[in-house]
Amino acid sequence: MSRLTARELTLAYEDRTVVHELDLAVPDGQVTVIVGPNACGKSTTLRALGRLLKPKGGAVLLDGAELSAIPTKKIARSIGLLPQSPVAPEAITVADLVARGRQPHQHWWQQWSQEDERAVTDAMERTDVTALADRPVDELSGGQRQRVWIAMALAQETDLLLLDEPTTFLDIAHQVEVLDLVRQLNHERGRTVVAVLHDLNQAARYADHLVAMKAGRIVAEGAPADIVTAELVREVFGMESVVVPDPVTGSPLVVPGAPYSPPGRPKTPTSTAQSA
Amino acid sequence: MSAETVTGRRIRPAGYTLVRTTRGSFLLHRRAAAVALGLTAVLAAGCVAYLSVGESFVAPAEVLKVVLGQPSPDELVVGTLRLPRMVLGLLVGAAFGVAGALIQTVARNPLASPDIIGISQGASALTVGAMTFGVTSYSVLPYLSVTGGIVAAALVYVFAWRGGLHATRFVLIGIGFAIALRSVTTLFMTKGDYLVAQQAQIWMTGSLNGRGWEEAAPLGWTLLVLLPAVLWAARAQRTVSMDDDTATALGVRLGRVRLGLVLLGVVLASIATGAAGPVDFVALLAPQIARRMTRTAQIPLLCSALLGAVIVVLADLAARRMFSPTELPVGVLTAAIGAPYLIWLIVRSRTAGGKS
Repeated sequence: MSRLTARELTLAYEDRTVVHELDLAVPDGQVTVIVGPNACGKSTTLRALGRLLKPKGGAVLLDGAELSAIPTKKIARSIGLLPQSPVAPEAITVADLVARGRQPHQHWWQQWSQEDERAVTDAMERTDVTALADRPVDELSGGQRQRVWIAMALAQETDLLLLDEPTTFLDIAHQVEVLDLVRQLNHERGRTVVAVLHDLNQAARYADHLVAMKAGRIVAEGAPADIVTAELVREVFGMESVVVPDPVTGSPLVVPGAPYSPPGRPKTPTSTAQSA
Repeated sequence: MSAETVTGRRIRPAGYTLVRTTRGSFLLHRRAAAVALGLTAVLAAGCVAYLSVGESFVAPAEVLKVVLGQPSPDELVVGTLRLPRMVLGLLVGAAFGVAGALIQTVARNPLASPDIIGISQGASALTVGAMTFGVTSYSVLPYLSVTGGIVAAALVYVFAWRGGLHATRFVLIGIGFAIALRSVTTLFMTKGDYLVAQQAQIWMTGSLNGRGWEEAAPLGWTLLVLLPAVLWAARAQRTVSMDDDTATALGVRLGRVRLGLVLLGVVLASIATGAAGPVDFVALLAPQIARRMTRTAQIPLLCSALLGAVIVVLADLAARRMFSPTELPVGVLTAAIGAPYLIWLIVRSRTAGGKS
């Protein structure tokens, strides 16, 4: 089942068409990851799924209704979205920022319900930022800040959560931490997650459903184990590689082809592996 | 600081007190509330001083009598001469304070205040233009000011728009329009009759001299009518302080909210200009100082209004007395305080990347 679907979605920035008649059904209760080379339209697609971009053609449907026909505040109670580089108001504290996630559930006469307090507390505990509650967001490290933003999106308590490259600017340990958190949320709360990721191997590790895009079109989609092959990598990224099982998870692991080596030098072990 | 934020396992944003009623719940920023109370006290003291000090000194006790409507020998000096002028200054200051806060918030830039980006200048140009054509009625001029301000704002908006509103371009184009409109005003004044030009010159510096209930009453009523909109703005302001994508994702109709906030700011700045002339820098100063006092994530509207009122009332008191018996226009004084502050702001924003 899919609450969120795209039908013949065409997206453009002014005259430049970025996504062409794309059909996509986001599987409920799963982690969907969109991958593809730079400028393939993956972030653009995610933005359209979260009504940040109006389609040039086709439509995004939430529970069968076009997003453009649903009041934006109502959408915000079903779909949460964390943009690539969100900007916090200057000098805002962590708890205050996370509390902003409650916006779609609040009214001017109802600024802080019991429900708001519970949701904010819960979101901050899950993302392990409770101890930072009173700290100004500007003073946090990159990893902490990203966790705070995720907490804000979680406090919104939506069934669907869209994440645009949530691991950019993070070191590898924090990347893994964030992705584990996403997986855990999906598992424990049954939240549907759609994330755009840069790293193909991380995508293959964390996705239930992988969508590979190239030049504004979907090239392949399905379980990573079923679709990630050396041919797909060549087709989507234009790169030679070897796909082996990940020694930890067994999911497909893409190992790029031999690095450049100066002529006359003995070949590196990697290049031997590639020819094998 | 964290005593009330992490009580048990319940988290609440730091610095807020929760007020729960049967129907609703409200978050009160404690520091902002304290600053508002403090500013109210300063304003009250400033008002008493304003009414006491002058050519003849009136004891504060007598001042209170007059204000409360009790018979007093100082009725003429306090009630007829000083009080209306003070009320006008207070209202003008508050209107400029809120106007500056709103436009600075939307543009995310402290320089984007109505007296820098051409709104006050638009109001001036049309008003002075009308004066040179013989329109001097105070029942017409304020409307012309509002029209001039809105037209100028619309022009700046149209020229600055390029698929989105970029704060720096908005400010620079605004400054360009401000200069152009200022020269249009000068042109009107040189073309105009000598007496009219002199009257326009005084109006242009922003002066409360010789003004009173005639200007204060319509301004007061308009502000009262706009009060619900200002209350809406105080809440809506929160939502535009995030980046566009995040705000939209949280269900904010950004385009409408922004337009509403800017429109309200432009109207407030224009009617205040219409009533007292462009009292420079109040709209720039009040919100920025107020925010530094409250340390809130947004520019506080109530505190901006109070601080704007304090600045204008005290500046006018000084303007009246400093070179007595000669009275300076209040705008000269606010400019004298504001210009160095503006320079400091620009120097600082260079190094800090231009964030508000």
